[in-house]
Amino acid sequence: MPLTDRGRTILERLPGAALASAGSTGCEIVRHEELCVGCGRCAASCPTGASSRGETFDVNQLLAAPAGSRRGELGAALRRLARHAASAPVAVPPRVSVYRTIVYDVGRCLGCGTCARACPAGAIEALPPQTTGADAREQTPTEAAR
Amino acid sequence: MSPTVVATAEAETTRARAAERSIVAFCCRECAYAAADASANARTPLPPSVRLVLVPCSGRIGPLHLLSALAEGADGVMVAGCLEGQCHYLEGNFNAIDRVTFVQRLLESVGVEPERARMFTMSAGEPPKFVAAVHEMDRVVGALPPLQRSEACR
Repeated sequence: MPLTDRGRTILERLPGAALASAGSTGCEIVRHEELCVGCGRCAASCPTGASSRGETFDVNQLLAAPAGSRRGELGAALRRLARHAASAPVAVPPRVSVYRTIVYDVGRCLGCGTCARACPAGAIEALPPQTTGADAREQTPTEAAR
Repeated sequence: MSPTVVATAEAETTRARAAERSIVAFCCRECAYAAADASANARTPLPPSVRLVLVPCSGRIGPLHLLSALAEGADGVMVAGCLEGQCHYLEGNFNAIDRVTFVQRLLESVGVEPERARMFTMSAGEPPKFVAAVHEMDRVVGALPPLQRSEACR
């Protein structure tokens, strides 16, 4: 459920509270890890800290980089050398900054789509909010009461 | 076949393999390349496998340089930079050390021997250290099985 930390603490204090339309407020964020260049702009622009730069790098992300992408050349070189797919992410030395897999925490994401706008590689997609029929029915009486 | 003939044949094969091998040495202009230059002026022989590439600073080297050299035919890559704390551009060699470590981990995770990429540091006044580093790299890479490359992803 996309809620701010503040919103979540308020909900926890109120007994039996629930936010009717919370499920449908934000965009659905889809990350394409194979296109990610690890620049960290999504982490810098994220208002809730849902995206952040991690300490490890998933090598399969590089192995899956398509030919036309920014990491395509490096991915192709590694694919030529690779004998098998990587089993575990590798730890990244402190001075290597861009080869870090972004840690994305869905629980803290608001679905605002700022990261999708900030991403220079087009690796993040913000899909329009999916409003289900149930949500719409819940919203109607509230709106009628106003 | 007499033992001498076998030994000669073996020596021939070793020599042929050493000539076929290629090690790409990225040398920093301020230190390692100057050391290489001095060793060449002193007519110290280098292994036939080594190819020197002049770079302004070892900090210029990124994973793409090392991995594409390996993918396009090199058997080993070495980065030779300045001593720690003596980089002409302040901290280029620290960046290079971490990048080479990262490339070693990348190689290891996909099943390639991490010894194929290595970082050396030396000052401009140490030609013997440069020669020793190149011989060390040649010996280590020569002991490894040939590097397998898949042609499909060319």
